[in-house]
Parts: sequence; C-alpha cells; structure tokens
Amino acid sequence: MINKKTGFLLLLMSLFTLGVQAQKTSTVKLNEVLVINEDNFVDDYGKRQPWIELYNNSPGTVDLRGCFLTNDKNNPKMYMIPKGDVLTKIPPRQHALFWADGEPQRGTFHLNFELIPDQDNYIGLYDSDGATLIDEILIPAGQTPDVSYGLNMDGTGDWVVLDRVTPNTNNVTLDTNEKIENFQRNDEAGVGMTITAMCVVFLGLLCLFLIFKGIGKAAVSASKRRAQRSATKAGEVVAANAGEESGEIFAAIATALYEMSDDNHDIESTVLTIRKVQRSYSPWSSKIYTLRQAPQKK
Amino acid sequence: MQESFFQFLGENIQIFLSYTGFANVTAGHLVMLLIGLIFIFLAIRYEFEPMLLIPIGFGMLIGNIPFKDAGLQLGIYEEGSVLSILYSGVKQGWYPPLIFLGIGAMTDFSALISNPKLMLVGAAAQFGIFGAYIIALLIGFDPSQAGAIGIIGGADGPTAIFLSSKLAPNLMGAIAVSAYSYMALVPIIQPPFMRLLTTKKERVIRMKPPRAVSQTEKIIFPIVGMLLTTFLVPSGLPLLGMLFFGNLIKESGVTRRLAETARGPLIDIVTILLGITVGASTQATEFLTWSSVKIFGLGALSFVIATCAGILFVKFFNLFLKDGNKINPLIGNSGVSAVPDAARISQHVGLEYDPSNYLLMHAMGPNVAGVIGSAVAAGILLGFLG
Repeated sequence: MINKKTGFLLLLMSLFTLGVQAQKTSTVKLNEVLVINEDNFVDDYGKRQPWIELYNNSPGTVDLRGCFLTNDKNNPKMYMIPKGDVLTKIPPRQHALFWADGEPQRGTFHLNFELIPDQDNYIGLYDSDGATLIDEILIPAGQTPDVSYGLNMDGTGDWVVLDRVTPNTNNVTLDTNEKIENFQRNDEAGVGMTITAMCVVFLGLLCLFLIFKGIGKAAVSASKRRAQRSATKAGEVVAANAGEESGEIFAAIATALYEMSDDNHDIESTVLTIRKVQRSYSPWSSKIYTLRQAPQKK
Repeated sequence: MQESFFQFLGENIQIFLSYTGFANVTAGHLVMLLIGLIFIFLAIRYEFEPMLLIPIGFGMLIGNIPFKDAGLQLGIYEEGSVLSILYSGVKQGWYPPLIFLGIGAMTDFSALISNPKLMLVGAAAQFGIFGAYIIALLIGFDPSQAGAIGIIGGADGPTAIFLSSKLAPNLMGAIAVSAYSYMALVPIIQPPFMRLLTTKKERVIRMKPPRAVSQTEKIIFPIVGMLLTTFLVPSGLPLLGMLFFGNLIKESGVTRRLAETARGPLIDIVTILLGITVGASTQATEFLTWSSVKIFGLGALSFVIATCAGILFVKFFNLFLKDGNKINPLIGNSGVSAVPDAARISQHVGLEYDPSNYLLMHAMGPNVAGVIGSAVAAGILLGFLG
C-alpha cells in the first residue's frame, strides 16, 4: 500500500522526468536545407536529393525516434522517424541529415516527402506526440541550385542563404577561440582578469559574511530569548550575556568539575584486567598443517 | 635441427630482453622514478601529506616503468588500458567533485559561521591564484594555461586538477603534482613569511573565543552558501555543489550513514584512484619538459603570494576593527585552502610567541573559507577562459 507521501513523491518525480524528456527533444533545431541538389552531397545510394539537416543544440544526446518530420502543416505526422535505429541518437552539438526524396523504404533517413523547387516549402519537426511543434521553417521559393538555406549560427541565429553548403557539419566553423584572443588582445598582463575575478570572489564571500552576520545575530537573540523564558520559568535571573558563552567556558567548568571529583577519591580508577585473546582458526595459521608430522616409528 | 632450435631460443630471449624495462630505460625515466621515491620518502619519513604523496609517488613509479609499446594496453596514455580507464576520472573531472563531497562531509564550518568576517580573509588569499596568473602570462603561457597554473595558488589539489583538466589538459600532471607537493610543503613555505610580515605585538593578539553555533545555523550555511556562490559563479557548480551537499548531509543529522560514507570510504577510494593515476600520468616523456619546471616555479610563487596576501589583508582589516575584535594576522596564511595544515601552522607559529594563545579554531575559519574561495575562483577562470 503506497501512502500519501510516497505517492506524492512518485508523482512529482515522474512529472519531473517527463519535463526532462520534453526539454531534450525541444533542443533540436532545423539547421540547414538544400532544396535543389544538382551537383552537391550524394546519399548512400549515390543519388543527389534535397536534404534537411537537424542540429542538437544541447550538451546532451537527443534521440529523435518517434518524432515527426513533415512538409504539411495540417499533417504533422507525415513521417515518423523510425524507432529502433541507434543512428537516430544525435550526440551533443551534432547533426542528423534527412533526404527529402520520397523514398522511405531506403532507410531511416529517407523521408516520405520531397521538397519542391519552384514553390515555398514548409518543414516542421514535431515531438513524438505528433502535436507539439519543436521547430518549423518556411523555405521561400526560388532557391538557387546547390546553395543551401540555413541558420547563420548553428542552432540559433537567423535563416539566411549560406555562403557554403555544409551537410552534416557546422554552418559556421569556429577556427579561433574568441574568448582567449580577446584576453590576449585586451588584457595582456592579466590585470583586468585579476581585478574582475577578485571582485567576484570578494563579492561572493562578502554576501555570505553579511548573511551569516545577520543570521548569527538572530540566533544569538533567539537563544537569549529562550534562556530568558526558561529562566523566568525557573525563577532565576538570566545573565545579560546569555548565548554568548563560548565552548571554552563550558570546557573550563567541566575540567574543574572533573578535577575536583578526580581528587576526591582514595582508590585509583585504573582497572587491571585479564582479557582472553581470541584468535580465529584458519588452516593458514594452524600448527597441525604447518608443522611437519613426526616420522612414524614402528 | 638442434642448432635451429637454439637459434630460435636465442632469438626469443633477445626479443624478450628488448621488451624489458632495462632495455627501454632512459634518463628521463630514472629521474621520474627518483622523484617518485623522494615523494614516498617524504611521506613516510616526515609525514608530509602521506595520504596523497604515497599514492602519487607510487603512481610515478608505475607510470615510469619503461616498456616497449607493443599494443598491449599497458600505459596510462594507451586507450583501453586499466590505468587509462581509471585516469578518465581525472581527465573528465569526476574525481575532484567526489573529493569535495567528502571534504564537505568532514568539514565543520562552525568557526566560520561564528565569526563570518573571517570569510574575507579566505577571499584575500586568492590573490595567490591571480598573482601566479599574471606572472604565467608574462613568461609566455597563454591565458588558459596561465589560469590552470594560477589555480595552484588556491592550494587545493582537487580544484587544481578539475580546472587544469578543463583549461590545459596537457599541463595537468605537472600542475597536480606541483599543487600537492607545495601543499605538503606548506609547513616549510609559510612560517618565514608569517614572521616577516608581522610584528611581535601582532603575533600575540588574542582573539575573542568563537560563540557556540546552533544546529539551525549549521544547516542553513550549506544551503545558502551553495545557492549564493553558484548563482554568482555557475561554472563552479560541480565543486561548490558537492562541497555544500556533503556539508548538508553532515549537518542535517538525519543522514549520518551518507555522511559517514562520503567522508570515509568514498573519499578514500577516490583519493587512491586520483593519487595513483595523477602520479602515473607523469610519464617522463610527457612530464619532463621546460613547462613543468616553470610550473613548479610558479606554484611556489603562488603559495608565497597567497600567504602574504592573507596576512597583509588581516593587517589592513585590523585598521578598521575595534581593539577587542582584532584578528591575529598569523591566521592570514590559512586563507589558502590546504585544510587543515595551513590552520595548524597558524597555531604552531602563534604558540611560539604566546604558549597559551590557541589560534587553531580561529584559523579554521579562513581555512575553510579558502576552500570556498578557491572553488569560486576556479569557476570564474573556467567561465572566462573555458
């Protein structure tokens, strides 16, 4: 029998898990599309077909199985990305390429619809419920052959005609570390970093100091109040500095009491005892096994 | 027939000999083996951080046994080898947060909570990190490498490994060994500077005894500490999150078993794995470079800067404090993490000048604040340079 508390916790955990799952697929973005493929990337059948590139814009692997790709807003469940194919898992910040060739029998990554060169092409990516839209784009008509349309930054940015076609790879290749170069250019001696970082370290610990100064004051006054209440009950006068006694005072009192009681005896507290030493038996330590048997004399 | 058999036998022995350590040994291997032996000697003879120096020292021996690469998956840098699998905990940064969990579960923040102004001393000592960062830049390291080297000044091994694995993986071995070596040498490095920067009068300052801290305050501390520091520096989350989590399971009073595991078997296991793999990662070919020498020099310098910054900050702070509230500058050195060695040094040096002035509990405040401060500093460096 599940009690109320456990049931509530289980419900909370399952809701949380659902949330995590939803968040994962939602990070996938339509990243690049090539509508007219005349002299460009070739599929595994040696054919040149239009393609759609998806990008996992998250630091975790996302499995696309069960999600839907469509070119019809009214029919979100046009093509279900098959389950049971390990290749539908997109590693962090990586891509998956789908061929819009209308030949789904050719494999997981071949869609059951095509992209039409002389008209606007709607592309939608829906979650596995077939209703939650993850991402969509309307590719305008009049695309140039072998020129792709995509995001100017992978997973973010605006849709533009890209300078170069980059199937299954980043739309923008980062060949420099901007952060580091910025530091090298503007903070050659590291003084800026030192000032900034030390300010942050001080700020963090200063905040902690102020918070715990306040908490400490509250704790001391609370303990004073408690002491006062209990003293009133016992009819005693409370010392003005209640709650501020240090551990050292208590230790000194305890030591004094101990020493006094220690001096008032005439029998030493030392206990002399004989304790039996027990050794557990093991064949490794057995004398019977380790000693050579005496030769039998007949 | 017999001749060819002996020829075969001879060839076999020759091949066997070519695979032995004797045939493949180089001067570099011998130097590293010697360093490993020195580490073990220091740990056993002088008890300098034995929990770390013995695994690291022995790891150095393991990592520097010369052998011919025959694809047998033996070395730490050979993919699939046992050592390489264990080393992935260092490379991927799994071990340091687990060690922080254990540190959290064994640290008593009472000294800090009862006298929270000591947190600022812990912050000041982080100048060691950035002082070393500036010098590392000046001698030609790039900003990421300089950041990874600078963190040695935090005097916190796990933090140094965590940050260097992210910013400069190729320097990690040298940085880790340097950080742990100087942590072990804190009793030698710090006292001269403590004496140099303080007057006789300052060394005998008696601090107000810390007040008793309630259980509620101890429980609030890790929660507020975690929320505040990680909101400020989210990149410090792996270290700070685990540190404060460990402390909460200790202080909550209802998760005794978890706390005991975290501060006992768990931290022991991770320390063994971390020590032995960091030691083994110092293969002569990777370790004996000019950069390593520079890193060792910078490491020493960063410890000195951190120590001096902590002491000078206390002296500066004292200018604003009333007579009864003054802080003994001898606890300024413990702002570098190196828990609890740095605090113990404050105590020892303090006792030299006043045998009844016990500074240990006071020094534990900046000491644990230093752990938080260095983790925050690591988060900042990772955020800026990662």
